[in-house]
Formats: sequence, structure tokens, C-alpha cells
Amino acid sequence: MTTAQFTKVIPTTEFQRVGRIVRLHFANPWTTIGLPWIILGSIFLVNLAIWWIIFASVTSASDRADVSDGLQYSGASFYIFVYMLVVAVQAISITFPFALGYGVTRRDYYLGTTLNFVILSAIYSAGLTVLSIVEELTNGWGMGGRMFTAVYFGDGWAQRLYLFFVGFLFFFFIGSLFASVYVRWKANGLVALFIGLGVLVVAVAALATFTQGWGVVGAFFGRAGLVGSVSWSLVITALAAVAGFLVLRRATPRG
Amino acid sequence: MDESRPIFVQIAEQVENDIIGGLMAEESQVPSTNEFAAFYRINPATALKGVNLLVDDGVLYKKRGIGMFVAGGAKARLIAKRRDRFSAEFLAPLLAEAEKLGVTPQQLKSMIDKEGTK
Amino acid sequence: MTAVIEVQHLSKHYRDVRAVDDATFAVEENKIYGLLGRNGAGKTTLMQLLTGQEFATRGSIRVFGESPVENAGVLQNISFIKESQRYPDDFRPRHVFASAPWFFANWDAAFAAQLIEEFRVPLNRRIKKLSRGQVSAIGVIVGLASRAPLTFFDEPYLGLDAVARQLFYDRLLEDYAEHPRTVVLSTHLIDEVSNLLEHVIVIDEGRIIIDEEAETLRGSATSVVGTRAAVDAFVAGREILHRDGVGGLASVTVEGLDARARAAASAAGLELAPVSLQQLIIRRTSTSEKEFEATA
Repeated sequence: MTTAQFTKVIPTTEFQRVGRIVRLHFANPWTTIGLPWIILGSIFLVNLAIWWIIFASVTSASDRADVSDGLQYSGASFYIFVYMLVVAVQAISITFPFALGYGVTRRDYYLGTTLNFVILSAIYSAGLTVLSIVEELTNGWGMGGRMFTAVYFGDGWAQRLYLFFVGFLFFFFIGSLFASVYVRWKANGLVALFIGLGVLVVAVAALATFTQGWGVVGAFFGRAGLVGSVSWSLVITALAAVAGFLVLRRATPRG
Repeated sequence: MDESRPIFVQIAEQVENDIIGGLMAEESQVPSTNEFAAFYRINPATALKGVNLLVDDGVLYKKRGIGMFVAGGAKARLIAKRRDRFSAEFLAPLLAEAEKLGVTPQQLKSMIDKEGTK
Repeated sequence: MTAVIEVQHLSKHYRDVRAVDDATFAVEENKIYGLLGRNGAGKTTLMQLLTGQEFATRGSIRVFGESPVENAGVLQNISFIKESQRYPDDFRPRHVFASAPWFFANWDAAFAAQLIEEFRVPLNRRIKKLSRGQVSAIGVIVGLASRAPLTFFDEPYLGLDAVARQLFYDRLLEDYAEHPRTVVLSTHLIDEVSNLLEHVIVIDEGRIIIDEEAETLRGSATSVVGTRAAVDAFVAGREILHRDGVGGLASVTVEGLDARARAAASAAGLELAPVSLQQLIIRRTSTSEKEFEATA
């Protein structure tokens, strides 16, 4: 039997189908673009105020250098990474049932969503890198403050750009896996996943402890260095991305 | 719409009534199937079935690409058809009810005369 | 006739619940179908199976001649408007109407704009803040303006008042007449839609119990009312759909009375009353419920 006898719409290409999912995620850029920058901006303003207070109360040049030393361990920008995990969870748990009503396949949906997460990672890492360059050029916004050039973001803009990007990917795809598990098995699935991950972490830690392997672990990360260690997270990111797809591929939108 | 009979039959009767009543003149165009469907709030396929019933009976005819028209002489033929059915549909139940109530044919006639002069 | 949907021995079981139980039917192209049944009868599950959202336990589904599961070539022809459809939290109606055309090749923006006006949907208010009826109106508008070759409406009018529902029926009929397509309308408001339907499929406890042209169903059952003795004598040997009685009076619903049987009933002093599609379905579903209990 041929299918040509039916009146159907003009077929789409894979590129169009994936592209429109990306567009769907950007249909209202408020949650994914607007809100995170506003929150980051407010955190930055609060930091500025704190730096100003410190800057005003600490007057000697050597003390100011000490303060700047301490500020390099600022964790103020970490929020945005964790927030992206939330964005990923929201994006999938809400647009998945919506998109399927629009006649989208799970495969196209997941590909488009993955592409969307990569694009968002690029946007955010580029933005943070630009801010870090400004931070360097203005000598810490004129007060020795450090928010975007904290030590764990690496050295030099290129390294920071890479670390930001890899970091965002990690949080997006961990979020994507959580959301896929939630969409397929609801809260029970998430609880099971968290218990499973907890057991895994404890098992690894126990293994390291009983085999007195902590030294080996430490040496491994020491050898890998900051960039190398963070690069290893790409393995986890990739595993999470694939696992997310396998879970979502058999999920049914409900409620 | 009456629940007991197919809608397409009722649509056909409605059009017949309009022709008999002079609302739709012979050789004039009748509304399209879709217009009937929208007006009576029924499925277009049902309206088409009703219209086709009238085409089969020679009451309406199709002009290709233009639409549906009332056939010449349709009114007279419809009246003749309705007259044939009049006795079975209206007189028989009337007589049956009259008999149940003990109304004689004589009394019935005078009732009809009285009703007619109102 | 070409069947847009062909379903054979389709079952979907959730643990011990048979949501869809050995269903076999076909949906022909460019007709309006009513998928009718009580709440929880399996209507939504059946539509989720047909749109590849749910996975079958057994049986086969062909939509446009192919399996719909993960099949973009099939699914892009389908619009599925669900009861209590959820929208992304931060969406406003304008985001829905802006994104829908990307997914529906036949989207008619002018028609959508007209419907938005008629249903009075506030474009710039957050969907979370809209009334139930306004949210339903969004779904109805997407379903109509998308003009998908195969459109499913699953109880699309939760919270819509009688005026808005009539508007939906009118626009559906008008637009369907101009742009024929296959529509499957699932509802329990049977009397409201019965005249719109060309074909009726009734599902009860997961089973297809009626699959019939609407016109054939109409008038297929009649209630016979009269004294108990006279009614019993008349209906003896006929299939009884429903029986009711008060004092010495009985009302029995039977199927398929021909002209001769009607004349005989009148002669026996019995009254014949038409049975609406809704009554017919209520009676058929309660019958099968009893059968179900008897075999359980």
C-alpha cells in the first residue's frame, strides 16, 4: 500500500524539525536568557557594594592586595551554573508534552533541545568571558573585586571560555537527565535516581578509602590539572545526554 | 431537528417545504451544501446526502461548476406527492383518534367545517 | 474510501487496567468522527496511541499507512488538542500563536486572528493567570487554525461556556466545509455534537462497542411506552437495550423497529418515543457494564 494517496502537508527536513525545536525554546527567552542575567546582575551589584565597603575601609595598598587575594575564591558566579540545571529541568518537563502535541517526535525534540543547550552554553560562556575580560582590564571594577576571574575559572580568557562552556554543558545535561527521568517516571523515578547516584558516590568513596586509593585519585587530578580535570566532566556530560535520550525515547506525556 | 429520523431526510423535507411554500422559486439557485450545513449546524456530508436525495427525485438539478437549482415543475410534483401521502399521514391517525374518543365521522366533518371558518 | 487510521486488535494495559482492549476500527479520510464514551472509558489513551504518544501493549496502528510512533512523516500531519493542555509556565498566549505556525504547515494566521478575537483570548496575559475557559480556547484555536490533515480534539472545552462551545462547533463546521480534513472529536457532551458527526465510535471499558455512521445510529433505537403487559407482549423476542418502569407502566428501549412494527405498536396502543444518540449510548454502555459484571 502506498501512502501517496493521502492529502498530507509538505514534508519537512530533519534540519527544519530540529531547528523549530530550538526556536520553540527561544519563543519566550525570558526564563532562559532574561531572568538569569538579571539575577546575575543583582548578585554582581551586591558584590560591588561589598567590594566598595571593603575598599573604603581597607586603605593600605598591601591590605588591599590581601583582600583581592581572598576574593579570588569568590563563588558568586556559581549560582548561574546551578540555575542552568533548573532551566534544563523546566525546559524539558514543560515543553516536552507541549511539543508532542504539535506532532513532534521524541527524537527531534531531544536533538533540538540538545542543540538549544549547546547554544545557551555558548551564549553564557561568551558572556561570562567578556565580563571576566572587563574585570581584568578594570582591575576588578576599580576595587580589586573578583567575580568572573575566580581562580577555578582558569587563567586567561581562552581557558576561562573553555571552562565556562564545559561547565555549562555539564549542568545542562545533568538537568536534562533529571528532567527526562521525571517526565517518564515522575517523582518516584527521581527518588530512585537520587538514591542510585547516592549509592554510587558512597561506593566509589568506600572503594577509594578501603583500597587507600585517595592518593591515586588526588594524583590523577593533580596530573590532569584544572583544564584536564574539568575536561573529564565531558565524559559524564556525554553519558548523561545519552541516558537522557534513552529515558525520554519511551516517555509518554501525562497530566 | 427531530431525533427519531435521519437528518438528511429532514433536510430534504425542509427544502421541499420551502419549494412548496414558494420561498425557493423554480429555476432559482438553492444554497450550497456547505451553506445548508452551516445554517442547520450539521455535518456537510449529511447535508449533501439530503440534497442528493432531492437530485435523485428530480426536485433539484446540478449545473456544473455553478451550483444547485430547483427543477421546473418541481413545486407541482411535490404538492402532488404530498397529497398522496396526506391521507395516510394525517387522515388515518385523525380517524383512529376520533374513533377512540367516540367521535362519529359526521361530528368530525362538522368540526372540520367549524375549524375552517375560524 | 481511504482509511487514514487503521487499528487492529489494539490493546494498552497498565498493570491490571485494560485502558484499551482489543480495539479494531478504521477512520476514513476527510470525515468528522465522534469518539464517545464515559470519562475513563479509554478515549484519551486511544488518542495517545494513535498519535504515537503512548506505546501499545499489543496490536497494530497505521496512520496514513504507517506506524505513528516516532514517525515525523506521519506526526507532522497531526494536531492533538488535549483536555487541560499544559503550556510552558512562562508562556503568554501570543507565544503559543507565534510558535504554532512553525509546526503546522497549513496554519492560517488570519483565521487564528479571527478566532482569537471571537474567543476573546487576552494575548499578553500569562497563561497561568488565565481562566480555565480561556486556556481551553487557546487549544481550540490552535486545533482549528492548524488545519492539520488529522486533528484530534480531546474534550477540548473544559471551562468553556455554552456560547463559546457553540462558536467552536460553528467554526469547526465552516472551516471543515471549506478545508476538508479528518477530525476526531472526543467528548461526553454527546447531544451537543451529535449533528456535527458523520461517524460515531463509542468506547466503553476500553472496548469499541459502537462503530457506525451517525445517520444509521439516529433513530436506530426507539422507546416503547405503555402498560407493562402490552409492552412486554410487544418487545418479546426483541433485543432490549433498556428497561424502565413505574407502577403498571413500562418503558423499554429496543433497536430497529421497521414501519410494520411501528404500525403494530400504534395498534396495540403503545407510544413510541425517539431515543437520542446520547440516550442510546448511555443505554448501550450500561448494558455492557452489566454484561461485564455478569462475566467477571
